[in-house]
Amino acid sequence: MYYLIKLKKKIFHSLPVIFLYFFSFYHFQMPEIGKINFFAFNIQMIIVYFYILKFPEHLGYGNIFLAGIINDTVIGTPLGTTSLSYLSLSLFTSYIRNATIRPIMTAEWFTFIPALFFSNLVYLLIINNFSNVSFYYLELLQITFFTFLFFPIFHYVFTQYQKLITEQ
Amino acid sequence: MAENRDDILIAIRYALLKKGAKQTFSLFFLIVFSISIIALDKISPSYIKPVKNVLNDVVYRVAVVSAQPTRLSRHIFKTINKHYNVMSENKFLKKEIEYFKHQQFNNAYLASENVILKTALNLSDDKGFAQNFSISARVILDQNSPFLKSILINKGTNSNIAKGMTVFSNDYLMGTVVETNYITSRVLLLTDLNSKLPIIIENTNINGILEGTGKKKNLQLIYLPENYEIEPNKTIFTSGKDGFLTPGIPVARIYLKKKKVLIKLLADPDQALIVNVTNGQINK
Repeated sequence: MYYLIKLKKKIFHSLPVIFLYFFSFYHFQMPEIGKINFFAFNIQMIIVYFYILKFPEHLGYGNIFLAGIINDTVIGTPLGTTSLSYLSLSLFTSYIRNATIRPIMTAEWFTFIPALFFSNLVYLLIINNFSNVSFYYLELLQITFFTFLFFPIFHYVFTQYQKLITEQ
Repeated sequence: MAENRDDILIAIRYALLKKGAKQTFSLFFLIVFSISIIALDKISPSYIKPVKNVLNDVVYRVAVVSAQPTRLSRHIFKTINKHYNVMSENKFLKKEIEYFKHQQFNNAYLASENVILKTALNLSDDKGFAQNFSISARVILDQNSPFLKSILINKGTNSNIAKGMTVFSNDYLMGTVVETNYITSRVLLLTDLNSKLPIIIENTNINGILEGTGKKKNLQLIYLPENYEIEPNKTIFTSGKDGFLTPGIPVARIYLKKKKVLIKLLADPDQALIVNVTNGQINK
C-alpha cells in the first residue's frame, strides 16, 4: 500500500514531464475556424516556462533537452534546434525567477513575451543559418501569439493542479 | 549603476550554472551540448548517420503509438457525429419521400394528360431515352490539346461502335464519336470549338445552338432570338431538331458568376474515366 501511494505520488509529480514528452511526440492540431487556427499554439513552451518559473523541482533541464531532441526528430528540423530554443527559454525564465521578488500572475504573463521572443529568436537563427528548411514566418508569429494568449488559462490549470497534489 | 550590473550578472550566472536541488545537469552544460549536436548535425560525420537513423526509427514508432489515443477519440467523435447525421438525414429523406409520392401522382396525371393531348394533336409518341445499344468504355487518353478537345476510348469497331454515336458520362451528354478504329475511338467533346448542338432552354420554347469554346465552364449559345437575355439557373437540353439526337437529354447548366452569365457543361470531361457509348439517335 505504501509503495502504491508512493508510485501514485511520483506519477502525479511527473505529469508535467509526461505531458512535455507526449506533446513532443504528438503534435495535436484542431480544425481551423475560418482561416485562423486558434489551437495552433506551443504547449511545450507554456509547460517549460510555467514549471521553470514556479516549480523548477518538477521539471528537469535534461528532460527539456530530450523533449527538444524528440520534437526535432518528429518535425524534421536540425537536431538540437528545439532543445536549444527550450533551453534558452529556460535560461530566460530562470533569470526572471531569480530577479523577481514578489511573483504576480500578470507580471509573469507579460514577461512571457520577451521569453518567447528570445526563444524564437534562437530558433530562427539556427534554422536560417544551419538548415535549408523554409517555413512560414506568419505561422510562427500566429503560434507565438496564441501561446502567449493561452498562457493565463494554463497558468490557472497548472497552479490548481499543483495545489491539488501538494494537498494530497 | 555598477551594483545593478553586478546583480544582473549574478542572476544570469546563477541561472546558468546553478543546478538546483532536483536538476541533474546545469543549463550551461546542456546549452553547450545542444550547440555541439547542431554542429555535428550540420557537419554530418559518417558515424552520426546510423545513430540518427536509429533515433528516427524509435521516435517515429513512439510518435505513431502516442497518436493512437487521439485517433481513437477522433474516430469516436466521427462515429457519434455520423449517428446524429443519419438521424437528421432520415428525417430529411422521410420528408423527401412524402414530397416525391405527391409528385408521383402529379406526374401520372400530367403523363395521361400528355397522351390525351398528343392523340388529339395527332403527334407521334417518342420514347425518349430508350436505347437499343449501349456499351461502356474506358478513357485511355485525355490529351489537353490546344487544337482538339477530344478523348480516346478503348472500344472501337470491334465492339460495334460507329461514327456519330453519342457518349455519356454519368448520364450527361459529353460528346460524339468522330473517329473509329478497330480497338479505339475518338470522342469529340462538347467543349470543342467544332462542336455544335441544337438545344432548348428549360421552361422556355427558346431554341439555339450550343457551341464549344474550349472551356468546360464557359460554353456559348448562338442563334438565339433577338433581344433574348439568358437567365441563370436553367438547364439546357437537346432539342432533337437535328433529327439525330433524342430530345430532352440534359447537356449544360446556366449559372451566374460575378454578375456574368456562364454556361457550364454538366458532364466533366476531365474527370471521366468510364463513359457510355450509345446510339442515341432518333432515326436509326
